[in-house]
Amino acid sequence: MEEDKTNSENPLKVNRRHFFSQLSVGIGSLALGSLLIPDLFKGSPKPLAGQPLGIPHFAPKAKRVIYLFQSGAPSQLESFDYKPTLTKRMGEDLPESIRNGQRLTGMTAGQDKFPLMPSAAKFSQYGKSGAWVSEFFPHIAKISDEICIVKSMHTEAINHDPAITFFQTGSQQSGRPSMGSWMSYGLGSENQNLPSFVVLTSRGKGNSQGLYSKLWSSGFLDSKHQGVLLRSGKDPVLYLNDPDGLSRSDKRHLLDHVSSLNKIHHVETGDDEIESRIAQYEMAYRMQMSVPDVMDIKKEPESIIKLYGEDSQVPGTYAANCLQARRLAENGVRFIQLYHQGWDQHGNLPNEMAGQAKDVDQASAALILDLKQRGMLEDTLVIWGGEFGRTNYCQGNFDPKNYGRDHHPRAFSIWMAGGGIKPGITYGETDEFGYNIVKNPVHINDFHATIMNNLGLDHEQLIYKYQGRRFRLTDVAGNVVNDILT
Amino acid sequence: MAQKNSSPWVDYVIFGLTVFLIFCLIFESFIDLPGLVAWLGRWHPLILHFPIVLLLMSAALGLFNRMVPKLLLIIATISALVTAITGFFLGNESVPKGDLLMWHQWMGAGVAILAVLWYWLGTNHLQQTYLVKGIQVVLIVLVGLTGHYGGMITHGEDFLTFPKSKKLEKIPEDPLIYEHIVHRILDNNCIGCHNPNKKKGELLMTGIDELVQGGESGPALVIGDPGKSEIVRRLHLPKEDEEHMPPEGKKPLSENEIQILERWIALGASDTLKWSHLDRSEPLAGMVKKMMDSGTKNSWAKLPKVADSTLQNLASDYVTIKRIASNSQALGISVYLPPEYDPKNITDLKRIANNIVELDLSGIPIGEKEMEFVAMCKNLEWLEVDRTPITDAEFVKLTGLINLKVLKAYETGITDESVVVMRDFKNLNSLYVWETQLSDLGLSKLREAIPNLHIDYGINPELKTEFIGKDTIVDSIQ
Repeated sequence: MEEDKTNSENPLKVNRRHFFSQLSVGIGSLALGSLLIPDLFKGSPKPLAGQPLGIPHFAPKAKRVIYLFQSGAPSQLESFDYKPTLTKRMGEDLPESIRNGQRLTGMTAGQDKFPLMPSAAKFSQYGKSGAWVSEFFPHIAKISDEICIVKSMHTEAINHDPAITFFQTGSQQSGRPSMGSWMSYGLGSENQNLPSFVVLTSRGKGNSQGLYSKLWSSGFLDSKHQGVLLRSGKDPVLYLNDPDGLSRSDKRHLLDHVSSLNKIHHVETGDDEIESRIAQYEMAYRMQMSVPDVMDIKKEPESIIKLYGEDSQVPGTYAANCLQARRLAENGVRFIQLYHQGWDQHGNLPNEMAGQAKDVDQASAALILDLKQRGMLEDTLVIWGGEFGRTNYCQGNFDPKNYGRDHHPRAFSIWMAGGGIKPGITYGETDEFGYNIVKNPVHINDFHATIMNNLGLDHEQLIYKYQGRRFRLTDVAGNVVNDILT
Repeated sequence: MAQKNSSPWVDYVIFGLTVFLIFCLIFESFIDLPGLVAWLGRWHPLILHFPIVLLLMSAALGLFNRMVPKLLLIIATISALVTAITGFFLGNESVPKGDLLMWHQWMGAGVAILAVLWYWLGTNHLQQTYLVKGIQVVLIVLVGLTGHYGGMITHGEDFLTFPKSKKLEKIPEDPLIYEHIVHRILDNNCIGCHNPNKKKGELLMTGIDELVQGGESGPALVIGDPGKSEIVRRLHLPKEDEEHMPPEGKKPLSENEIQILERWIALGASDTLKWSHLDRSEPLAGMVKKMMDSGTKNSWAKLPKVADSTLQNLASDYVTIKRIASNSQALGISVYLPPEYDPKNITDLKRIANNIVELDLSGIPIGEKEMEFVAMCKNLEWLEVDRTPITDAEFVKLTGLINLKVLKAYETGITDESVVVMRDFKNLNSLYVWETQLSDLGLSKLREAIPNLHIDYGINPELKTEFIGKDTIVDSIQ
């Protein structure tokens, strides 16, 4: 690759390894050297995976992902994991044999009792699949035959920041590339005029937790892979519009000149980030044309607006973002990440969760229906879920009308649809208390491996070497969950 | 006979190379070769002919009690060492090393080291001992075997076996479940190691009787009982398990293939059962169908070669061209609307028309010219012409695209006249045609012609009303 060439030619790029490998001429030193430092003669570190970049490793089932992230962790017990036992044993203390030493957050560690709390929302079965869905989600219930509910997700993290970082980057500690960045890195762009990783955020009235740009950072990958946050309102991307009086051709001249200066600088320093910057200027130039068009919801017919709910006309709502997500997907954005904040119900759960559910229920279901009628569910993977689950016991005062639930990493529910996922099934099971997984656990690493698999990537082959260590999204774990694939 | 070596340098060279070879072999797993050295390995197939001839000649001379010229032995020994070392470099390129390569490597090294030993004994006036005679005999055998294994590596393991009936290229329309499906799976994945030549674990997998007879771990197949069949048990073990088959480094069977084996065993492991004998509700029928369908994916293998540079030249900011997968000649193309649209953007793609299997022209103001280009894409399986101004007049150009599996034509002007064209798309799985002029009558004709076709005529009206109507969330809690 051209990139490698400039790397090895630039004298400033020579590091210890290059130095040694060039110093050691002759077969004897080869033998000795390779004994002392096993990968001394590894050559250039770039083509690691043995697979070319920008192309799937094998024919993919999905070309893009829409990830509807419910930030704050919606309770599985009031959404998709129906536990009648909690009603029967309401108020009883959680048996120690079930809790089995699970660590608690500081918020409930001081409680001397852990009274079991049933769901305030009633459950019914829906569709041919007979999936259990709570009354908080009447619209999602109606599309239950299109989705695959996974009730056996689990994580190690017990607090929001590490948990959401784990979901986004495959590690609880921040600094690794986001999932969307990995996909952009591995699959390349589908449309040169839009970023391949886009982020949309919205906020409900419920208790929320912060979102930070590190969640969509490209980490150690080239910064062109980082997620681009599109804002609601007049300027989806800040400072994208030209100032008054600057014509498009002037702008072109300006960019060409800046780019030639940057190229000179790149030859001098060999800093790859300069190339990224040149590419980003070009992308911004093209986005000046493409983004206003893609983001213009006014072109949608009224029936579609209504399908997503009246909220979809209000910029910055979850419903508007869902509609936006579909438009971005149509225009070839690979990874569209939505976040809806406000799912952290430590108290006042029945009320707050009803409100949160109202925010997302119709639009999420409408997105599935809309994608389906456009044939896009065949190659678009939609994911709905939070960063962990919530406890089956009550946090704070025991009041079945107004209770709270603490963080619970051992079991929670998410759902997926389209893009090579079997529709109309429920996967995994928790025990009768909804506390531990008893069947088919799915770890976050497995979740990542499965998503990558459907996008045509072998999660063990997409590797990036950084600071002398090889990194994958799934790090050293992850098994594809074959049972839920079509 | 053998005189003291006149030049000590020869001894040094031979000694040095020997030490280096042994070093390489011992520290094999720690060695990572730089490009130049790996390139040296490429000379192995050329150099190797020298030691074969020279060593055989020397050994033959020695065995017939003739004088072995000193120079001949020197060159033979050095060439054997160089061959072994270059061979080691070449072998290191392929990881993990297969059985063949391991045998070849160690026997090759053996040849070189025996040659050195012989040379050393020769320089120490021990040329005519029985020890040397022994070495000569072993050398002849070993050179032959090493050469044979090397040949198998380059030409394939069955290169020297007698010709047998050729593998069936394509699964027939109505396959015999054992011969065309099960045996094919076993042949692709298992028989490589479980044949009369190799017989790993004393197991033969070449026929049903052999499977029932089994190997070291007992019968591989228990007719009618997949749960007791060793083959099924091992397929289901976790990949990391020692006993998992196929072993580490080999491609595992697909889920579908495993299910086919299980179901076939459960149904009695018959060798006369045909696909058409199976009831449509029998799961095996579906699994086999799936395998036959995936066979068509292999038809991509027959697509003409297309160079990356061609793709780069044809792609632009508004035309994205991607291979469906790495090493595949099948292409997927997405076109986006540029500020100034010109049909040439699309018709220029003619050169690669045969390679295109997915084409997305959604929302592009295409007309007759572009549709003529689409018609040239004979291998097209996925076509999006939704939200375009096409009508029946343009749609009729698509006649003959019989490989189409997915067709999106919603929000276009097509009417029932286009049904005639679509009726011939026998492979079509999904059709999206809401907001067109197609009538119920037209659609029902289409359903008749293609029974398994899924036609999407928009969101179910009842469901749509429920969504568009008032919010239905329960207020009881609030």
